[in-house]
Amino acid sequence: MLSAPAIAERLREASAARQRLRIVGAGTWLDAGRPVDAVQTLSLSEHHGIVEYVPGDLTLTARAGTRLSDITAATAANGQWLPLAPWGGDDGTLGATVSTATAGPHAAALGQPRDVVLGLEFVTGDGHVVRAGGRVVKNVAGFDLTRLLVGSWGTLGVITEVSVRLRALPEQTRTVGVAVDTSHATLNELAGTLRALPFVPLAAELLDTTASVQLGIGDRALLLVKLGGNEKSVKGQLEALSVLGDRKDVEPSVWETLRSMEPAAAAVWRWSRLPSVFGETWNAADRATRQLKGGALMHGNPARGVVRVLAATNAGVSAAELTRAAIELQAIGRGTVAIERLPRDAWPLLEPTIAQDALSRALRDKYDPARVLNTGILGGDT
Amino acid sequence: MLERKSELLAYSSDGLPGYTKVPNLAVFPGTRDEVIAVVRELARENVPFVPRGAGTGLSGGALADGVVLLCLNRLRRILRVDSVNQLAVVEPGVVNTVLTREVSAYGLHYAPDPSSQAACTIGGNVAENAGGPHCLKYGVTLNHVVAVNAVLPDGTVTTFGNDSGENAGYDLVGTFVGSEGCFGVALDVTVKLQRNPQAVRTLLADFMSIDAAARAVSAIIARGILPAALEMMDAPTIRAVEASIYAAGYPADAEAVLLIELDGFEAGLDDDVATVVTLCTDAGARSVRVARDEAERGRLWQGRKKAFGAMGRVSPHLVVQDAVVPRTKLPAILEEIHGIATRHRVRVCNVFHAGDGNLHPNIPYDAYDPDESSRVHIAMREIMQACIAAGGSITGEHGVGMDKLAYMDQLFTPDTLSAMCQLRDVFDPLRRANPGKVVPIHSCREWGGVVRHA
Repeated sequence: MLSAPAIAERLREASAARQRLRIVGAGTWLDAGRPVDAVQTLSLSEHHGIVEYVPGDLTLTARAGTRLSDITAATAANGQWLPLAPWGGDDGTLGATVSTATAGPHAAALGQPRDVVLGLEFVTGDGHVVRAGGRVVKNVAGFDLTRLLVGSWGTLGVITEVSVRLRALPEQTRTVGVAVDTSHATLNELAGTLRALPFVPLAAELLDTTASVQLGIGDRALLLVKLGGNEKSVKGQLEALSVLGDRKDVEPSVWETLRSMEPAAAAVWRWSRLPSVFGETWNAADRATRQLKGGALMHGNPARGVVRVLAATNAGVSAAELTRAAIELQAIGRGTVAIERLPRDAWPLLEPTIAQDALSRALRDKYDPARVLNTGILGGDT
Repeated sequence: MLERKSELLAYSSDGLPGYTKVPNLAVFPGTRDEVIAVVRELARENVPFVPRGAGTGLSGGALADGVVLLCLNRLRRILRVDSVNQLAVVEPGVVNTVLTREVSAYGLHYAPDPSSQAACTIGGNVAENAGGPHCLKYGVTLNHVVAVNAVLPDGTVTTFGNDSGENAGYDLVGTFVGSEGCFGVALDVTVKLQRNPQAVRTLLADFMSIDAAARAVSAIIARGILPAALEMMDAPTIRAVEASIYAAGYPADAEAVLLIELDGFEAGLDDDVATVVTLCTDAGARSVRVARDEAERGRLWQGRKKAFGAMGRVSPHLVVQDAVVPRTKLPAILEEIHGIATRHRVRVCNVFHAGDGNLHPNIPYDAYDPDESSRVHIAMREIMQACIAAGGSITGEHGVGMDKLAYMDQLFTPDTLSAMCQLRDVFDPLRRANPGKVVPIHSCREWGGVVRHA
């Protein structure tokens, strides 16, 4: 069994020898493909297990290598859940989900990883064990190292333990699909309508035709909505949803299928702009990726203004083709394009770099002065 | 600009009693460009400075001991309201409730609602990562800030985050929020606006023991109902409020009351209300009353929000404390606090965000009475230590400032404090912004006396 002090020892040795390491959770996303320059792997998968779970506090602390599915099982026994439910499914680890700040369909209603994490333990590149934040739900003691580490892709420290806020499972849930016309104007209006509802749906994800077909729930674009609450609330929410048009019931298992429908070899982009231009975002993403051989599928969250494109890359899609699509996406306008995955040979063509500003580089210098942690994962020499 | 000692005395304290620190100079820039110019001048001259909003902070974060006080309260323009995307861009000196008032026409509000919201500024809220009663359901300042445009202590102007609230790269917005004025000065802040709830129910439950009220809180949280707010007030607080102009109609003989607000979608809300009533009754509530109209609701809330003011009638000074414990530990910690107060012959008034486990054990006292002051300080220290021992934190929403410096190394390991110092050094290598606050200097592994006071 690994321990934080053992990991610290390992990192001190690595730093002294300038030996670069690739930090790995369960390894489910290893083909995230970023060309990390490493001579060895440091896997956290053996560093697992729930450290503390007090159902009455709705908080849980687990080692970084704990699989999300194990947390789901432990909390469900008490009618609770960890609402991260990230894209990619529950096979991944808590540490990797937090390190990559991967969100899922519930982010608009229940928060992104930065909103859910209460504290964490991490080991800096030069081998210091740091315990940031705490296990209580409200805490402003000291500078916020927790937020700094969430989404830092393992480049500022190896996350070894995470404390999270849980939610009670809703008394009832209901999943429905509403057929949607995907023209600019209609989608912009849809985003507005969703935000103006007198409740926040647990999830509301737009699926393109390809995704609907693959999920076996229709042959056209569909807005998939998950409602939750007590009996009267869910009934009332269903009635309020009638402003969107005709709906049909969908099996609740569709969410898990949707989250894990990422092909083994894929390119995945996430594009975020304001909800008011969701229609343009969706259609521009569609145009940029439609011609990819083997096809791409898209889903998006109108209320958050996010569109996610998944392209299978085992169907003869060349790196150059993906590069063209990605550049077209980036060129369309203001917004954040996050590249989640690319085949290895496409990264050098795109050279996507993040966290290259002076502050970010200074942070890297402080916490990983020998640059032994996931070097290259943010692009360039970081 | 103020230079005369007599004028500067007005800026020698914030909401933390018992400390007086006189700045050498107070500067009041009126525009963003003036703020940048001032910060650059201070950088050129290597002069330490303390940013200040409305000076309502309760941890001494805005105290400026012989340095320059940079007052941001003249920057009070709301630069943009985007009602469709529910965003507002505001200058740091905009008062919290002014923003809510200005966006209310769109059916929106700014969710974080500290008790000082009628006076405190958004810039100050960002610096302290301010909370408030409704943060139980809606989250603290951190959860509502998507972007900050700031001038760093060296004069560099930079933007963290963006309108979409989605970031690639390090979460510098999250890192900046709550940095207590040590990482730079916000020039404008982009915040999320929350849609006003369709329906609201405000309940007052009264109990004949603090323990029963605390158990009701635990039962509500454990049941998974997420109230918009879940506040507790104990007997000394109730009596202080009821004796003041803020009298809210709390039962004067109760040992504790819970102010509980449920809000959101109308359908099904009353079922949750019924569940909460049952849980309170089961825990021993003498009565649970639901406010019938907006006027009654306003009155119940006024008592809570003005409780600190009401305590002003009791004695000349008031320590407003702030600590957090896991919510299941509430009954035990309240009993322990009672024991500490009795032992040191001080009066503790508990008025706090029970749903978050965020305690505010307040002690009214006379700061000019050395014996009482010393007993108050000892009691406060023991309360903090009890909260740390219970697995909690030394501050939930007020910040560390000067007040909590002494507890930092009880809560965090030397390596953790050192990592905090390193973070500060990335933003402010010369440690000129709000010097001496948040992290005790001696904890900084690499500290080499780089701060030069002008």
